[in-house]
Amino acid sequence: MAVIDDDDSVRESLPDLVREFGYAVEAFGSAEEFLASAQAGEAKALILDIALPGMSGPDLHAELGRRGRAIPIIYITAQSDDTIRPRLLDRGAVDVLRKPFSDRALQDALSAAFGAG
Amino acid sequence: MTVAPAHDELIIDSVPGLVAILNPAGDVEAVNDQVLEYCGEPLEAMRHWGTNGIVHAEDVPRIAPVFANAIASGVPYDFDARIRRFDTIYRWFRVRGRPLRESGGNIARWYVLLTDIDDRKHAEALLAGENRLLEMVANGESMAVILGEICRLVERTAAGCRCSVVLVDPSGLRLEHGAAPSLPDSFIQSIIGRPIAVDAGPCGMAACLNEQVIAGDLTTETRWASWCSVALAHGLQACWSTPIPSTAGKVLGTFAIYYDEPRTPTMQQQRLIEQVTHVASIAIERTQEAEALTRSEALLARVQQVSATGGFYWWPMTGEVYWSEQVYRIFELDPATPLTTELRQSRIHPDDLHAHQKSVELAMRDGRDFEYEVRLLMPDGSVKYVHSLVHATRDAEGSLLYVGAVQDVTPRRLSEIALSKVRSELAHVARVTTLGALTASIAHEVNQPLSGIITNASTCLRMLGADPPNVDGARETARRTIRDGNRAAEVIAKLRALYSRKDTTLESVDLNEAASEVLALLRNDLHTNLVVLRTEFAEGLPHVRGDRVQLQQVVLNLLRNASDAMSTVDERPRDLLIMTEVDHGNGVRLSVRDAGIGFAPDAAEKLFDAFYTTKPDGMGVGLSVSRSIIERHHGRLWGAANEDHGATFVFSLPIDTKV
Repeated sequence: MAVIDDDDSVRESLPDLVREFGYAVEAFGSAEEFLASAQAGEAKALILDIALPGMSGPDLHAELGRRGRAIPIIYITAQSDDTIRPRLLDRGAVDVLRKPFSDRALQDALSAAFGAG
Repeated sequence: MTVAPAHDELIIDSVPGLVAILNPAGDVEAVNDQVLEYCGEPLEAMRHWGTNGIVHAEDVPRIAPVFANAIASGVPYDFDARIRRFDTIYRWFRVRGRPLRESGGNIARWYVLLTDIDDRKHAEALLAGENRLLEMVANGESMAVILGEICRLVERTAAGCRCSVVLVDPSGLRLEHGAAPSLPDSFIQSIIGRPIAVDAGPCGMAACLNEQVIAGDLTTETRWASWCSVALAHGLQACWSTPIPSTAGKVLGTFAIYYDEPRTPTMQQQRLIEQVTHVASIAIERTQEAEALTRSEALLARVQQVSATGGFYWWPMTGEVYWSEQVYRIFELDPATPLTTELRQSRIHPDDLHAHQKSVELAMRDGRDFEYEVRLLMPDGSVKYVHSLVHATRDAEGSLLYVGAVQDVTPRRLSEIALSKVRSELAHVARVTTLGALTASIAHEVNQPLSGIITNASTCLRMLGADPPNVDGARETARRTIRDGNRAAEVIAKLRALYSRKDTTLESVDLNEAASEVLALLRNDLHTNLVVLRTEFAEGLPHVRGDRVQLQQVVLNLLRNASDAMSTVDERPRDLLIMTEVDHGNGVRLSVRDAGIGFAPDAAEKLFDAFYTTKPDGMGVGLSVSRSIIERHHGRLWGAANEDHGATFVFSLPIDTKV
């Protein structure tokens, strides 16, 4: 799976935790970087920051949809806007996690993602 | 007197006057040559004076009974009558008859002396006419009627003429109709509207040059071809036009005399013209003044209504008051009601009455101009805001007299109140919004590293809990946890730097100007709070160096405090004084003095503690922030209770030496 976040701390720490849960993972700093990589066609799930420089998380989601790549997406965000979560869930997101989130919440979301996948 | 009849003729022919001799029955027996010459009729015609027009037909009914009575009773008679001259013109004569008695007492004959009094009669008639005209002017008779009467008076006096008055129109460029009772309308219509120019006609020329124009014979006149043909077509052959001057020497119009035969004025007629143009001038000027006065009064009344401003006079010594109609309208009182002090005060809002009376009393004591704003409470419970400017002066007797203007500023004040309410709500919203945005951005900035910390810590625990424990991985994640913790601390430090505004912009500041700008912003609030603001700005105040906006915040804060401190004060005027001055030559000082609730002397320093306040709903931050701003500008801010009421807050700043 892939972690896409422009924040260095997240990009460094999150893949390690995901690996601890037993998944193979690669981190990207932007949606464009991800799309340009082999992972764009291979990743089975995404942990995706909403606010990214350039193409945003939801933009990437839509772009993948256009490409016929229906993969489970777990959004993460540092914003405290409550209205965005239901909208993203409506569009098919597996979960929306607000930073900082616990390892337990992430594990549940990952289980849901692969369970659904 | 007994004289031989033979001598009679000789004697009466040598008398300088007209003489007739009648028999005892009153029949004309003889006349002297002067009579025959005057009348141009034979003696025979004299005998029938009662019927043949030698005596004016209008006078016969009046004199015939007097004459008959005298003949019958033998008493001398004396009357005035008009007698026809050879050229058919009647002149006035005084006719005196005396009987000559024989020795037996019987009447032998009557001697009749006829004295020409025509000139005197005319002078009298003219004088009477003039008096009547002046009376008409004094009685406010319309100008058209008076000018018409002037024409008729001249027409009566100088037989055979017809007169007109034309006026200079308001533009000063054309002639307009005044009066012409005996001239055909078609002729007048051809004159009026003509330009005031030398080639327009005698009247246009007279008005243009401001001098008399005599056209004695229009049949040979060459100056105004088109006008002459109109005049001749109406049978007019002479025209004398004289300008009617105003007291300032301006031409008001012209007075013209027309004859249907060629003629030039006699000396007597010139005097007559002079007299009537004078009266006409009085009538026209008087009417124009009255019209101007009426117009200006009407304008004033309209302006008062439109601007909702009324005027008043007030003699404070006697308490006498005069109000214009508009003041009554503002106060919603009937102009017929006597204006008592109680009645006036009954309209003033009870909450404002005391302070209002005090401030008026204070102003009166100094006899100076003043200005106030007060609320009125109408019987229906509605509230009006009136603003008044009062000027102190002296009346003709030297007594103090106030002349004032009262303006109903309710709509303006209400919208200002609404506006300031909206503004303060907006300010609140803006503050809350800014705070919300600030919180969100702080949360975002801090959540990122926090997220890293928690994820790293979770990973670390998991790595340590694995079998075998991944100690190297755990060490790496623990190191990252510390780094992210430091990052969070950095974010906070950056935010603090951003919002503490260390980067003040230093510029040269004119405190008078800066304070004036604050006053402009605050004027509404002060008005609403019924604060009487006074400024004493030192002229040529040296500039200070600092952050203009911050210094304005301090002034704003001091003024707000002063205004708030007086919000419950009703027993004295809410006087607020803001003053600037040079402080011992090396500083500039601004002080704000109020008449508010003040503070205890020992509280002076506590005022500057961050959360100390004397206001029930105050936050107490203002003064401490103000002091820190002033101290950052190397100045001092302090406050002291006034001796009588309220407090004075002062700050002093060093003079900007870089200018």
